[in-house]
Amino acid sequence: MTAERKAGDTTAVRMVINWLGLGLFALLGVAAVVPLFLIIGDVYIKGIDAINRLGGLWHFLTGLPPTPYEESGGIGPMLVGTLYMTVLGALLGIAVGFPLGVYIGEMRREKFSNVARAGINVLVEFPTIVIGLFVYAVMSLAKEDLNRYLLDPFSNAISPVGGWITQFIGPLDGFNAYAGAAALSIIMIPYVALITASAYASIEQPLREAAYATAGREFNALFVVLRKAVSRAVLTAALLGTAKIAGETAPLLFTAFGNFYYGPFTGPTAAVPLWVWYAAQTPYEVQIASAYGAAAVLLTIILTVFIIARIRG
Amino acid sequence: MLGFLLVVLLIPYLIAAYGLLFVKLRWGLRLFGAFIVITIGLLTAMFLVEAYPIIARDGVAVFLQTGWDPVRESYGVLQALTGTVLTSAVAMALAMPMALGVAVTINEILPARWRGVFGSLVDLTATMPTVIYGLWGLFVLGPTLQSLVNTLTRDTMTSPYTLFTAGVLLAIMITPYAAAVIREGYALVPKPVEEAIYAVGATRFEAALIKLRYVRNYILGGFFLALGRAMGETVAVAMVVGGNFVRFTTNIFESGITISSLIALQFPNAASYQYMVPALFAGALLLTLFGLAINAVAIYIIQRGQI
Repeated sequence: MTAERKAGDTTAVRMVINWLGLGLFALLGVAAVVPLFLIIGDVYIKGIDAINRLGGLWHFLTGLPPTPYEESGGIGPMLVGTLYMTVLGALLGIAVGFPLGVYIGEMRREKFSNVARAGINVLVEFPTIVIGLFVYAVMSLAKEDLNRYLLDPFSNAISPVGGWITQFIGPLDGFNAYAGAAALSIIMIPYVALITASAYASIEQPLREAAYATAGREFNALFVVLRKAVSRAVLTAALLGTAKIAGETAPLLFTAFGNFYYGPFTGPTAAVPLWVWYAAQTPYEVQIASAYGAAAVLLTIILTVFIIARIRG
Repeated sequence: MLGFLLVVLLIPYLIAAYGLLFVKLRWGLRLFGAFIVITIGLLTAMFLVEAYPIIARDGVAVFLQTGWDPVRESYGVLQALTGTVLTSAVAMALAMPMALGVAVTINEILPARWRGVFGSLVDLTATMPTVIYGLWGLFVLGPTLQSLVNTLTRDTMTSPYTLFTAGVLLAIMITPYAAAVIREGYALVPKPVEEAIYAVGATRFEAALIKLRYVRNYILGGFFLALGRAMGETVAVAMVVGGNFVRFTTNIFESGITISSLIALQFPNAASYQYMVPALFAGALLLTLFGLAINAVAIYIIQRGQI
């Protein structure tokens, strides 16, 4: 009788502990995503208000950033710079990251591929500012000789094409869009490589054997037949990586540097995250407002890419 | 000239790698693999070279002394190192419970069709631009935390921008990274083990605890990966940490600095001083070595404990 009651008591106690414990876990789990909604809400409420106050959506997307004494302004140069550097960085990141992912995913028995995998695992977690500093250091070493031996003669040779070409190709400044794109691509490469590798590693053995049997060459087997089996995962990886690098600030601080005006991509280039970083820390209300507007635009771009990746993936 | 060769040789290197893909596939792939190893090697070598002037002048003292005085050309990064350790400690103490909560919530508590949505939200937390976290920390989190802390204690937090603010913001940012690793391990608990747990009459909460103990290697691995993120995070921290790079402090409710935010905030005017650029590169070298060491430990733990 007493033993039975005791058993009943401990069961009741255990049920209470069960619900309390699960509740605590759920509370902690929810606490991890609540800030996301707070941030998105804050950015959109203040951002949309700021865009309206600074002269409407079209003016905000194309206009020059406001000086402290202006009432209106936009983020035109920043948007152009961000798009240019993100597209270049993403293309380069996919171009190198995809074959790299195939290597560490398919050639797992090679010793060197394990070394490369460890390298990628380290690089994906590396502080992004370190990568920016690295590109800055290479750029400051290479700039003068690069201009003297390569870019000056080359830009003279292609000058008959027209003046517009100098916007893209020409002697480089210490800070330029190409350095920014290079830094972004170094951040993108390991993302793409890791997801490609896990997609290739999850291909079933019969499918792999069929690919090798029908394709003839190993290149065709890996890059034509099996690519179709993993294309969806790789596309998702590319989109998520692009969303990630579109919002990166730290690697651009010393590579693209930022700019207030439309300028050639061979010189300091503006970027939306750089403008948010700069303007948010000024004491002027109009610039802080434009930082919120820029953040809303940036968030919209990233949410769009993220949702596309999730629906397709 | 060296830098010139480096940049110019990159183009034939990539062309060769692509060409070899068609001709001799495995060697082409190996060239791509070598690319990543060379990048990491070059990065470390580059920082050693750039930091050499200050290390040659001060020795390891640059890492052990406090005080950042450009006018006297005297640089020490100890206060930044302390700041990095303190903010990471606050961040990890808050982030690990949340990461465990995320893993259990997704795998045990939520009904199956909500798991994907919740998982996507956690992933989105990781994808959000860090500068937006910084913006939110600057105008919302900092002031809120200050009034909260000052109500609970007696006005210990004199400024909204402190090491504590940075730690809390970091905790929110790194939780998804730790959670991703723990989730991965949690989903790999073998079905027979799970059935055995329930067969002895465990409640769901007890089952969750046993499974968490079963995947403790993943938890440890996630801890180190998140720690690496926390130590290297730059922009968001630089916006809320207070930017006090002069005075040494171990009080988390005071303004401080971390290594990465020291680099971000001081670099723009570094060129005006003889030794400041090398000093900042010495900080970057420290970050690189930390990053290499912490990630090596994390990768080792996760690979050793693979279920």
